Amino acid sequence: MDRVGQILRALFRRALSEHGRDAPALTDIVIERAHGRLEPRIGVQFSNGYRTWSPLSPSDCYAFCERHATWDIGGIRVALLREGHPIYAQMREEHAAELRRLRRRREELEMLRSRDGVATLLERLRREADALDRDLIWRQREYPDAAPQPEPRRPDAGRRLLQWWAQQRDQLAGSMFFLRSSNEGGSKRAQERGIQLLKQNLAPAQRQQLDKFGFFDVVGGSTGKRYRIRNGRQMNIEQLDKNGRRVCGWCFFPQGNLVAGDVMLAQKMALELYEVEALNIANRY
Amino acid sequence: MAVQIVMDRTGDTRHEFDSADSRAVALAEERFRDLTGKGFRAVALGRDGGPGKLVRKFDPQVEQTLFIPQLQGG
Repeated sequence: MDRVGQILRALFRRALSEHGRDAPALTDIVIERAHGRLEPRIGVQFSNGYRTWSPLSPSDCYAFCERHATWDIGGIRVALLREGHPIYAQMREEHAAELRRLRRRREELEMLRSRDGVATLLERLRREADALDRDLIWRQREYPDAAPQPEPRRPDAGRRLLQWWAQQRDQLAGSMFFLRSSNEGGSKRAQERGIQLLKQNLAPAQRQQLDKFGFFDVVGGSTGKRYRIRNGRQMNIEQLDKNGRRVCGWCFFPQGNLVAGDVMLAQKMALELYEVEALNIANRY
Repeated sequence: MAVQIVMDRTGDTRHEFDSADSRAVALAEERFRDLTGKGFRAVALGRDGGPGKLVRKFDPQVEQTLFIPQLQGG
């Protein structure tokens, strides 16, 4: 390839990197004579008005003219366009393919990141739950006798934002765990029956909690301790202290690969009716 | 009509029986023994989501009995 061909490629590359996916069509290639102290230059022009230039030495130009046997500006322009169009078309195609490859790679990376990220996110949300829960108004209503909290440092808007975030967090955690468990066992119909049976056997306040936050609280029948059962089939029970903060987690569930609704109902019944026995079987975490 | 609700992979299976029908009661009692023998816990369901009551002996007068499979640690 001669020097003019290399310069054209450099100019096309510049245009493609400037415009990415929307690379414009090549419309013209011009050569400007030396003017005053300015040396001669070659410029390419595109359909969107973009122009880019590069210096062109007489020796480069001479080789090109000799190859195409043309010595006037008009003839050189025609020869440049004839040579430039296929080069640009090929570069444009390669550029688009490269962009497609990069986009696919980015999507794959995002998918991998989100797959690993869900579990991490949920775990982090749960760990941070206690700190955020202190700001929930419903908790203050529920635990009127709890030790007085220190004067909140956050202004009202911040508190409202935290409340909203806590609700979103619980709904997300609830739905993610429900989705996960729906893949693990039972048909959709079975899942619905399980949830229906559970809701039929929850107290109105528990039902409301489940609908709103994706969990419900249960009082242990033997010890009077408070437990929180989250939407799920495993590792979904938390023991709470008198202020509603997490003490530890308990993991037990009925045998037989039951649907989530049945598992949560069995956990509720066990904690209310045979708490000690259930906790002896359970693993604490 | 009384009903025995057995938790299973379909959600639950319900067995209704007439507590005035001695044959149906006998069948229900046999089912109770069979399930509790396998480790199921029988719970007489309370009203309006109340805690309910553990049932260790078959009682045909209990309106709704829920059978919960044996628990295991996770």
